[in-house]
Amino acid sequence: MPSRLPGFQPLLTLLTFLGLFLYWLTADFFGYEILAEIAVFAILAMGLDLLAGYAGLVSLAQGALYGVGAYAFAYAAATLAVPAPWAILLAIAVSGLVALVVGAIASGVTGIFFIMITLAIGEMGYEFFFKTPLFGGDDGFFGIPRLDLSAFGIDLMDPASFTLLLLLCVLLVFLALRWLVASPYGVTLIGLHENSHRLRALGLPVRLYKTTAFAVAGMISGFAGALLAQHTSFISPELLHWTTSGEILVILILGGLGTLVGPLIGATVVILLKHQLSAYTDYWSFWLGLFLIAVVLSGRNGIVGALEELCLLALRRGKLRRQGDAAG
Amino acid sequence: MVGDAGFWFIQILNSLQMSMLLFLLSVGLSVIFGLLNFVNLAHGSLYALGAFIGYSIAQASGSVWLAFATAPLAVMAIGAVLYYALIDRLRNAGPMNQVLVTFGLIFVFLDGVRFLWGVDPLGVTQGVPFSGRVEIFGQIYPAYRLFIIALGALVYLLLHLLLEHTRIGAEVRAGVDNAEVARCLGINVERSFLLVFLLGCALAGLAGAVAMPTFSATLGMGVSILVPTLVVVVVGGLGSLKGALIGSLLIGSTLTFGQVLVPDFAGIIMYALLVIVLLLRPAGLFPVRS
Amino acid sequence: MLFSKKTYAAAALAAVLAGGPAAAEEYKIGLLLPFSGVYAGLGAHIENGFNLGLEHYGGELGDNTVTLVREDTEAKPAVGLAKARKLVLQDRVDAIVGIVSSAVLGAVRDFAEGSKVPVIVANAGNNDMTGERCSPYIIRVSFSNAQMNRPMGDFMADQGIKKVYLMAPDYAAGHQMMEAFKETFLAKGGEIVGETYTPLHGTKDYGPFISAAKAANPDAIYVFYAGGAAIAFVKQYHDFGVKDEVPLYGAGFLTSPAYVQVQGEAADGITVGLHYVPSIDTPENKTFQDAYQAAHGKTGSEFAVAGYDAARLVVEAIKASGGDKEKFDQELAKVSFNGPRGPLRLDPATNNVVQNIYIFENRFQDGKVEQVVLDTIPDVQDAPNGCSL
Repeated sequence: MPSRLPGFQPLLTLLTFLGLFLYWLTADFFGYEILAEIAVFAILAMGLDLLAGYAGLVSLAQGALYGVGAYAFAYAAATLAVPAPWAILLAIAVSGLVALVVGAIASGVTGIFFIMITLAIGEMGYEFFFKTPLFGGDDGFFGIPRLDLSAFGIDLMDPASFTLLLLLCVLLVFLALRWLVASPYGVTLIGLHENSHRLRALGLPVRLYKTTAFAVAGMISGFAGALLAQHTSFISPELLHWTTSGEILVILILGGLGTLVGPLIGATVVILLKHQLSAYTDYWSFWLGLFLIAVVLSGRNGIVGALEELCLLALRRGKLRRQGDAAG
Repeated sequence: MVGDAGFWFIQILNSLQMSMLLFLLSVGLSVIFGLLNFVNLAHGSLYALGAFIGYSIAQASGSVWLAFATAPLAVMAIGAVLYYALIDRLRNAGPMNQVLVTFGLIFVFLDGVRFLWGVDPLGVTQGVPFSGRVEIFGQIYPAYRLFIIALGALVYLLLHLLLEHTRIGAEVRAGVDNAEVARCLGINVERSFLLVFLLGCALAGLAGAVAMPTFSATLGMGVSILVPTLVVVVVGGLGSLKGALIGSLLIGSTLTFGQVLVPDFAGIIMYALLVIVLLLRPAGLFPVRS
Repeated sequence: MLFSKKTYAAAALAAVLAGGPAAAEEYKIGLLLPFSGVYAGLGAHIENGFNLGLEHYGGELGDNTVTLVREDTEAKPAVGLAKARKLVLQDRVDAIVGIVSSAVLGAVRDFAEGSKVPVIVANAGNNDMTGERCSPYIIRVSFSNAQMNRPMGDFMADQGIKKVYLMAPDYAAGHQMMEAFKETFLAKGGEIVGETYTPLHGTKDYGPFISAAKAANPDAIYVFYAGGAAIAFVKQYHDFGVKDEVPLYGAGFLTSPAYVQVQGEAADGITVGLHYVPSIDTPENKTFQDAYQAAHGKTGSEFAVAGYDAARLVVEAIKASGGDKEKFDQELAKVSFNGPRGPLRLDPATNNVVQNIYIFENRFQDGKVEQVVLDTIPDVQDAPNGCSL
């Protein structure tokens, strides 16, 4: 989404990352947990942003692909004793492959139908892991190991170190996506969103682009899944449930679609808000709901859009005042 | 398994009953979507509200019939508030904002119901109409389920009459077909929007009130009915009464017979059906606009 | 009141007997339960019971105090683990009490063992947690999925029931409940004529399944359902008139005290087995029920009792360890007392609760359901099942 205030989003991005790293520096134990949750959901939401924000494909299967990645890592690392770095790559590859198939099926429909078909396929994935004893079924999958960087003198079992690694992964995914959306592929995707008919008339294989976008988003989700599996060392099928996908979507829309920093801010705000509210009341969900409604009523593209608007207003007012001073 | 006609006839009745309940919910959502282009994820929450409000009315008045009659009106009133406060404002805000706002409403309603009615499941145990049983082909079947089937059929007939044989109905159909042109023709499309939305809410409330005696009112009921309802709406095709009915029948029978014939796959059979239908008919079975 | 003259005297006596000055310790207990969302119900019951237990038995703590830290699991494993980490690493709790969902317990288990902080499980019933995955730091005071079903298998076989049809939701708990029933029922020569596992996330319409079960011509139907599913199942079983021909039995959650009044007449004639029923006629139970009803306006459920007994467990362990926190962990598993459920102790081989199972019949009289105890099976204990403590 083209910004009305050039330089705003890069500045916001810088500030957000700085804020998160500052939080990490001053965090207590629970702070690390919160940051870890933010990191995983930020990655998930950024992946969905590529799909929904840039390519205009709203998917409720991201949770399912997240789960596939988590289970792929878990099975590879714990059961097959594949070394963690390879298991992570495997998780990304498997979820990318699954996403490719799902994307190929789903790309034939649009709008609400696309949303529903992704939801349906996601739910089938959920049922699969729920019922399959090989992956632990609904009892869950235990004993997932973590990446071992002790050769580099880094102890990833220390929450501070692991959380920092997660934050660096967020940065990595952000930079990769930044590069992708600016590339010819990315530009084409955006064009697809805005006018697929025209592009199709120009001979563009629209379905191929949609399918590959789905696969890329799937790989990102799978990566997030592999990270989560290491964070909690236990996973269960509810990762694939549509409500997880729904959470990712809510975070993305709240943050701001098509901005890449939106998902990051959305994840930070929702998770921080949730934990802060839950310290005061058991009805935190009510207040979170009101907050979501308020942000929508503000009429802009999520929080990023609202902040941008505020800045614009402030700048305009400043400019008018200076003009007034100059004239008067 | 049983090869006798009585058993299968009972299952047909079961699938009809499931379909009718789904129909009451999906018809409102489908026409709201078709006309207003508004995806109301909070529709399941209205169903839950219908059940809880119905419970309270039944407890207070001792009459479950009164609950059936007034709970839909109460939910309609809540719908009116929602319409003027949110829906009307956000009709052109795009699907993403609509998703977010209605998600927010789901959270708000869930906690609101918990705050007002507590955490435990609720239900009426006395004064439920049609609580007897009938005998069909040597099998016993609850009369209440026949009531639900009859109610669904009645609602379908009334809606059909409303849409096809009244002026208001014609205006709604025109609005679903092409709101721009309808406006140009002098049709008060805005009024149609409001009417359709309120009717959809009332039907959701009715479904909840009617489901409550047999399923009880629980906190999770709104969220758990949402996906089957969306599946029906999408499979049936947006905006059409016929689509909602056929979709409901299809999903209702799939769920019922699927659960009996292939219980291991009962969980995914509905989703598999949706995928197959959308692959063959990307806009659902009977969309009003193709 | 908490501090009567009697308790001061008891505390003083305890201090003298313990030998040496009793250090006044502050014990922090983390209450890890779902306080939001659709599972908030069980969280509320357990918390109410726990607080009542502290009120009743807190006076025996002497100079020691118990401080509670509440955290919401949202019934999600990842969130439960994050909160558990907070409780242990940040709040430095001495024990965690709660955990409704077995998936959350799964997520927390390894962490609890690694950090050597005991988790007193007040609900999650998965057999493996006191079986294959047992741990000195997982102490279960509620029930195991198997426990209430074995006595029912014996009971029904003794009643002369030969052919049974089983039904349960298709997830770990459903299967574990049915397996336990089969263990004893088949051993006494019974026959399972059919077994159906219904979709857990379905639409709670059991009509098709009930019709199919009846068509298999069993002598009785045995099921496990809980919560809204149980209410729906019982009502629908009644509506279909099957109860007149085929009696219904089940694991006690089917007609749990928490919602049996909602089931009303539909619950009439159903016989179940559960580790607690409000009509237990003992002074301990009367004290519990009177206080619970006065405080909350409803009958104390088996979930509330689990919370109540968990509080008692904590207090007894604090007393037994004489304020020595090192000993507290070990003392937890050695506690035994007579509570509202009857005699309660922990099995040192599995850390699972050993308790009575009550077989009771639901009778609808004068607009209310009475739960009449038919038989009490004492000392129901799970086999180690792969646990080595």
